[in-house]
Amino acid sequence: MKLTTKELTVCALLTAMALGLSYLENLFPLSLAVPVPGVKLGLANIVAVFALYALGAGQAFLILFARCLLGSVFAGNMSAFIFSLFGGVSAMAVMTLLSHLRGLSVYGVSAGGAAAHNCGQIAAAMLTLGSTAPLYYLPVLLGVSLLTGGLTGLVCACLFRGLASTNFMKG
Amino acid sequence: MKPFPELRPAPWDLAVVAAVLTLALFCGVMVWGGAATGLTAIVTADGEEIDRFPLSAPAGERTYSAGGYTLTADVSPDGIQITASDCPTQDCIRTGRISRSGQSIVCLPARFILRLEGKTEINSSGVDAVIG
Amino acid sequence: MLKRFFPLLLCVLLTACAAPAPEPAQQQVIAMSIVMTFTAYGGEAEAAVTSAAEQMCALEASFSRTLPDSEVSRLNVQGRGTVSRNLGELLQAAGHYCASTDGAFDFTVAPAASAWGFTTDHFQVPNPEELEALLPLVDGAAVTVENAEEGYDVVLGDGQSVDLGGIAKGYAADLAADIFAASGIERGKAELGGNILVWGTRPDGAPWRVGVQDPARPGEPNALAGVLELENAYAITSGSYQRFFEAEGKIYHHIIDPSTGYPADSGLTSVTIVANTRERPEPDRPGNGTMCDAYSTALFIMGEEKALDFWRTHQQSGLYEDAFDLVLITSDGRVLVTAGLADRFTPDETSGYVYETVS
Repeated sequence: MKLTTKELTVCALLTAMALGLSYLENLFPLSLAVPVPGVKLGLANIVAVFALYALGAGQAFLILFARCLLGSVFAGNMSAFIFSLFGGVSAMAVMTLLSHLRGLSVYGVSAGGAAAHNCGQIAAAMLTLGSTAPLYYLPVLLGVSLLTGGLTGLVCACLFRGLASTNFMKG
Repeated sequence: MKPFPELRPAPWDLAVVAAVLTLALFCGVMVWGGAATGLTAIVTADGEEIDRFPLSAPAGERTYSAGGYTLTADVSPDGIQITASDCPTQDCIRTGRISRSGQSIVCLPARFILRLEGKTEINSSGVDAVIG
Repeated sequence: MLKRFFPLLLCVLLTACAAPAPEPAQQQVIAMSIVMTFTAYGGEAEAAVTSAAEQMCALEASFSRTLPDSEVSRLNVQGRGTVSRNLGELLQAAGHYCASTDGAFDFTVAPAASAWGFTTDHFQVPNPEELEALLPLVDGAAVTVENAEEGYDVVLGDGQSVDLGGIAKGYAADLAADIFAASGIERGKAELGGNILVWGTRPDGAPWRVGVQDPARPGEPNALAGVLELENAYAITSGSYQRFFEAEGKIYHHIIDPSTGYPADSGLTSVTIVANTRERPEPDRPGNGTMCDAYSTALFIMGEEKALDFWRTHQQSGLYEDAFDLVLITSDGRVLVTAGLADRFTPDETSGYVYETVS
């Protein structure tokens, strides 16, 4: 994949923002309200949705990999990498698919992505633990993902409305 | 060039919501609903397996003879209990009803063990074993 | 774009469905009058639990005092003989722990224990003269065990008999550990009638949670004095509530003090010894399970003060491999946990005990 300097800069910027948002959401532990491991706001998903639409799936995946890799380097453990990569890739794959369907808004896309993110993480948990036990959490996680996904969609909708007056989206 | 997203909720968003909810419901039924019915009772006497049946089998009484004693088990979908035994200790009766995966009823004099096994055994708050 | 990512999507969905969920291999047997449950994950799990169950039945056939043709029964009748490797090394270990506990653990207490009926279940209170006459027979130092070409040569003193009840479960735990190690087991546990060997961690990566029975409420399955979080460890308990009988309003339990011939009246109701697993220190010396079992009996007999002194002496000996920790429960309602276990022990708030950490 060949990137122009501008594209590379935007990708780097978005990766940094995604990492910043991941850090920020640790300050608002949603798991206090819903006591299930893995429950979180998924703020970094805002960047994923934005990148998917603004830059296309290729660069969105690039940002995702960079975020997962750097995030787990900062967190300092390998299993965090597997978890975020499984979640992130599932989410991005589903969102790419959904974004090509007509009649779906950014809300539907991000909600679908959030749900897929949780499925991916549960799959990673089942793989690393070698047990089906994590499946127990999936129904709750899926329910929560509709809310967090909707929230991401709302933020992205506002973002795109704001950018509509600029020429950013036109490349 | 790039598909600009629809920024207002669209009707098909509901389809995504419905799909996620269906998946959640399906998983929920599978992992939670299955817990009660997915149990298998395994009965051994002197180390040999003498009976094995799903707990969802027709409710009723089952009689076993082991080590010269006769034990009667009352089986229902929500658990198993030894209701009668001519063993000297009667510990098997005192154990009461068992209903969760991993639980067992033991009769030492008859060398009889009735154990419940399930697909998944979640033990988040409890303990894995008790010593003493 | 869709075409490019569809295979990826498919992969993700397939992994989600095909995640392996290994169920443990499990075997349950009744041997040595206790229920033994072996659970193993990974490695040759199925073969390991089957072999463990078989070996336990073989141990019972060799160690039983009630089966008339067991090795131990024959040895007790004949007073001498050549015994199998298992029995020989266990008798040797028993002699070692008898000496190291200054006779508080004694595997030759059988004549006194029999006088109380603990071997036959025909309980009775023996008269003091009878016990007095039996006491000279209780002397583990009088037993000699020597490595022979085939097994071990054992000679008992005149009139002596051995009873491995206070050490055999620990030895069984050691054999289970040997089997787990040889079979490449990743995680598992061996529950041996109120004693346990935990191997590795739980499947979810957390330590095994081992509840310590509240001795004041012995029949109740959920009545705990606290919970230990353990990995690669033995936890072995001796308690006066495990076997006892009542005569003329008085309760007599099964842990006989070798120095008096009477049930130990030490102010303790339960002693749990916890030690790490390790390889056999020498080919013919069992691991730490045997030690835990012998010490749980010995320290119960010693009582709180001497037991803690014994623990401190062993802490200071610097032999990390032999290090162990204690949970002592006293009859006046205290639970004493030694320093090494303090952050692995969670008290049960509802039990009503007073908890203390000892160092």
